[in-house]
Amino acid sequence: MSATLEDIHAAVAAGDYARLVAAIPYAEFLGLRVEIDAADARASERIYVMAYRDELVGNAQLPALHGGTVAGLLEMAMQLEVLIAESEQRLPYPVDFTIDYWRSAGPADCRVACRLIRSGRHIAQVQAECWQADRERPIAFARADFLLRSPD
Amino acid sequence: MHEPLDKTEPATRARIAAAFNGGIPHNQAIGLEVVDVSGDWVHTRLAYREAFLGDPVARLWHTSVGTTAADSSCGLAVFLALPTLEAIATLDLRMDYLRPAVAGKPLQVRASCHHITRYVAFVRAMLYQNDIDRPTAHCTAVFMRTGRQMLP
Repeated sequence: MSATLEDIHAAVAAGDYARLVAAIPYAEFLGLRVEIDAADARASERIYVMAYRDELVGNAQLPALHGGTVAGLLEMAMQLEVLIAESEQRLPYPVDFTIDYWRSAGPADCRVACRLIRSGRHIAQVQAECWQADRERPIAFARADFLLRSPD
Repeated sequence: MHEPLDKTEPATRARIAAAFNGGIPHNQAIGLEVVDVSGDWVHTRLAYREAFLGDPVARLWHTSVGTTAADSSCGLAVFLALPTLEAIATLDLRMDYLRPAVAGKPLQVRASCHHITRYVAFVRAMLYQNDIDRPTAHCTAVFMRTGRQMLP
């Protein structure tokens, strides 16, 4: 059964991020979950987590996660951040996406925090960073622009 | 003794591509297939799966599935263009999402490494579904040459 617009809408309105992820098959495939660290000074900051599993590996020798999975987590995080922060009616559609790989991603969970730089009438511009054990040693940085779409 | 590699020879290219793709667990997890590497570009294909849906309402592929396919295909294009079996890493990658990829149809990638310097390699790729003249995305990426040889 496929999710409806109402499912996504209700999940965002209720702040039920597990339900939101469950409504988006690729978010679920990546093993995404959304955490809010209440102890953190950045009070309501949402952290998007991709749990490690062997299927996400790109280089078995190192080992390292596939760069595409890290890109997927970053893009999905930015997309959900715009959806949630702007109370959008529909999933924002990405116009473009750029990633810089700073360090190799080891076989561990990845965490992402987003920064919504600007949200205009039609376009939202976002940045995000990904880290593993240490937030001060990010492994990747991404930026993207999203098209905000009013309901049909 | 290893015979010198002739990376212009189609059978050799196909053999290297199969080993490269087969050795990447995440490419296997998503079912990325190498279609043709006999020319100086790389042609890959990803069959549609429900797990790749990014917008379950509009029934569109998530754009970052294409990013993963592009990263892998660009990497393969670089690997085949370098004179030896040299290990590489994605430095940065940009996607321009030209039009949505619709559910039910495959996603295909054509990637070509168009310039190589001592330390980096430049790649571009087009993504499309059934019609190459209607691309869904355009990708540009830069890979770092590590100087390390992959195991034969």
